[in-house]
Amino acid sequence: MDNNKPGFFKRMWGVLARPSAKYSVLAIASVFFVIGILFWGGFHTGLEMTNTLDFCTTCHEMRDTVYQEYKETIHYSNRTGVRAICSDCHVPREWGPKMIRKARASLEVWGKITGDIDTKEKFEAKRMTLATHEWDRMKASNSQECRNCHAFDAMSSELQKQTPYKKHMKAKEEGKTCIDCHKGIAHHLPKEYKDPDE
Amino acid sequence: MTKIRSMLATAVAGAVFMMMAPAAQAVDADAALALARQNNCLKCHAIEKDKDGPSYKKVAEKYKGKANAEARLIEHITSGEKAKFPDGHEEEHKIIKTSPPKDMAQIKNLVQWILAQ
Repeated sequence: MDNNKPGFFKRMWGVLARPSAKYSVLAIASVFFVIGILFWGGFHTGLEMTNTLDFCTTCHEMRDTVYQEYKETIHYSNRTGVRAICSDCHVPREWGPKMIRKARASLEVWGKITGDIDTKEKFEAKRMTLATHEWDRMKASNSQECRNCHAFDAMSSELQKQTPYKKHMKAKEEGKTCIDCHKGIAHHLPKEYKDPDE
Repeated sequence: MTKIRSMLATAVAGAVFMMMAPAAQAVDADAALALARQNNCLKCHAIEKDKDGPSYKKVAEKYKGKANAEARLIEHITSGEKAKFPDGHEEEHKIIKTSPPKDMAQIKNLVQWILAQ
């Protein structure tokens, strides 16, 4: 038996490192281009699958609590039939922020494994902490996910009621962002929460 | 003997009346405040001071002793009827939403809490 025969990985590296004598650079580049498209497409398809309402409500932690609350709100059911699902509000659309959000969401898998909020009681006990994290994230992004659909400039003084219109224009002047005033728009407020306007 | 009979009759009548009268429900202030916060009531109202809407103390004062106070306020916050603002303009009052939807016990508790200010 030949003990000097190189191992599998060394042999593979030898193949990969050796310049091709058989294929042109164009052929190799074309193959990698197609493989790249397939990989990128597959990656994004997988990623988008984690952005669906069905995926988010797979876990009973979401399905039995915040999902039930959201179903009673205007973002779920309304006159025009436009629905904002979980990811529309909780996952940024831009690639960089989306990747960061998804990476952070992997911590939620750890929470699932350890049963951090696996009962309604545990969820309620942590609701203020969880909500505060999300409010802080929204505040830091100037409520970007709200503004994907809503904009101060698109508000009509004729179609919006006078009082909310005045409040919106004042908020714009003061540099406020949506989440400053619209906490709890799709879920119950934590029992510890106090409205700053009280 | 007649006096004893009369006293007994009064006691029995009293007991019957107490049994027939609806049990006075204590207002759950925490639940009322939570519902007010959830519906952004406190953006336009405060307990003590007037904002765009009158203070809850002023509302309670206005309806004090009026038999229809509770029904009137329930109508006001559930029908979307017009409310008059300090600058004179009128606008539909927000319809208060509960979870589960249209839970009149929660609405009633909120109104009783406002009237108790």
